[in-house]
Amino acid sequence: MPKRSILHMLDPMPNNSPFDINMAVDTGFDILMPYNNVKLEDIHGLTQDAIFSRSPAGIKRTGIFIGGRDMGLAMDMIDAAKQAMVPPFEVSVLADPSGAFTTAAALVACVEKQLKDHHGKELKDCKALVFGGTGPVGIATGVIASLAGATTALVDHMSLDAANDVAKEYNRRCQSTLSGAVANSDEEKALLIADVDIIFCTAKAGIQVLSSEVLAQAKQLKVAGDVNAVPPAGIAGIKATDNGIALDQPQGAIGVGALAVGNVKYQVQNKLLQFTLDTDKPVYLDFREAFDKAREIV
Amino acid sequence: MEKQFILHMLTTAKNLSPFDVNMALDAGWVAAIPYINVEPSEVKGLIQDVIFSRSPKGLNRTGIFIGGRDTKQARDMLKTAKNSMFPPFEVSVFADPSGAFTTAAGMVATVENELDTKFNTTLEGKNLLALGGTGPVGQAAAVLAAQAGANVRIIGRQLDKAQHVADLCNDEFGEGKISIQAGLDSDKSEYIKTADVVFATGAAGIELLSAEHIASAAQLKVAADINAVPPSGIVGLDAFDNGKEIEGTISGAVGLGALAIGNIKYQTQSQLLKQMIESESPVFLHFEHAFEVARQIIKTSK
Repeated sequence: MPKRSILHMLDPMPNNSPFDINMAVDTGFDILMPYNNVKLEDIHGLTQDAIFSRSPAGIKRTGIFIGGRDMGLAMDMIDAAKQAMVPPFEVSVLADPSGAFTTAAALVACVEKQLKDHHGKELKDCKALVFGGTGPVGIATGVIASLAGATTALVDHMSLDAANDVAKEYNRRCQSTLSGAVANSDEEKALLIADVDIIFCTAKAGIQVLSSEVLAQAKQLKVAGDVNAVPPAGIAGIKATDNGIALDQPQGAIGVGALAVGNVKYQVQNKLLQFTLDTDKPVYLDFREAFDKAREIV
Repeated sequence: MEKQFILHMLTTAKNLSPFDVNMALDAGWVAAIPYINVEPSEVKGLIQDVIFSRSPKGLNRTGIFIGGRDTKQARDMLKTAKNSMFPPFEVSVFADPSGAFTTAAGMVATVENELDTKFNTTLEGKNLLALGGTGPVGQAAAVLAAQAGANVRIIGRQLDKAQHVADLCNDEFGEGKISIQAGLDSDKSEYIKTADVVFATGAAGIELLSAEHIASAAQLKVAADINAVPPSGIVGLDAFDNGKEIEGTISGAVGLGALAIGNIKYQTQSQLLKQMIESESPVFLHFEHAFEVARQIIKTSK
């Protein structure tokens, strides 16, 4: 009898995300095992327990998923897991904390497509802002956009120091070139967006970050993408289902809504999970592979 | 390929009850995933992660179970879960903290059946004592009986606590339409003289009703005890008793033991878990739905 496939789901939080559970079951994993409150120093032992309990044939049917809410910690965990492997006792590892890697990958890929289709531009020609830029999805969005060549700033709604610290940390980790910015009033937002080509909104669900009056000040805006599916939209005028719909204002700008992004995100996460099951050679997947996959899908 | 059935099982306690896990898997759920130490404030986020990761068709094969030990918290979590959804991104939710909702439903439905078959009457207007009634099962059973028209008195060792529970039952679970009273355990020799029905839902191993109480219960008809661990909560009542006359009764009262009640409870919980799977549109299930199902199970078993 072939071994049943097992996904060990390691999470620094008190509980796994039901989102990841649904996705893993829908990919076809037979058994899901949640591990909660996992610390970085636990990863080595957990990984070795996973690899040494099945034959190399059996561990092909075994995977590790790393969740949580912290992108840096997830990246450290994926490294720790990798270092714990003893070939041929090796399993695939996918990190997607808060779904941030796959959501950010999908968001940037969707925006990149609209940029090309409607404006004939590449990310490297553009200046981008990430609102909600210090949260998990925001950071991943910023890093991916920056590595793809866009001049990108992470915007925090409270503190410039917080935004700068996050930008610096992830520039060091990922070799990106992010900067930080702050905007807590409509005036500050209007100033910030005046000369940008791209706006990513990854702020908390149900909060409108940019009203239509503020958005009208973005005279250079080409594409705006929003991942908030809970009304009101993060960017006024973008409906969740919009995928390349012209905004009322500013003229010429194109909107991408949460369900359009979500549709790609969903496929990305599914394909990456599937990849860990199908691959002959173990793979280590983070936001980079997520972005490659998202580009393929769009 | 059809999506697999996933039940996300939320509890405020530090573990799920293995009872609920077995029941869920036996009802046909394929994956039963635990979420432990869940704070009520976390429910909204968890629910939204559930609903946004499957298509509406897949969500029809996805469910939420709410466990824990606190009836009010479970009720509130059920409401929060319902309010966190956006049609068509909706899933069914079933709350059964400590199994209390289905146990209470099994108890009230079996009692009702004994009243009907042995005494040709109903719960309407009956004096009912809920002994040890401040716990989760006692609360839910008291509410169901009061909703069926009984004059319910929750008996506890501290009057203020019993009164607090009675108020909670009336205001929260009964939505102000019932008026359960409270009474002191030390006064139960008085109350028992006019009681028609007794529920014993105290902790295992505590005798709530003595032989003297039974002998003075002039109009007692049915006594039910959910305690399966000897000694029984009602003297002379055995866990297997299913409508047998209680020893020493002067009014022909019959007894319902834990296993007779448990049998209906078990089927009720199983059917509700299946109902979540089979229903075309989302259902939100708590003790009132459990009671309807328990009544139906008894009716169709005849």
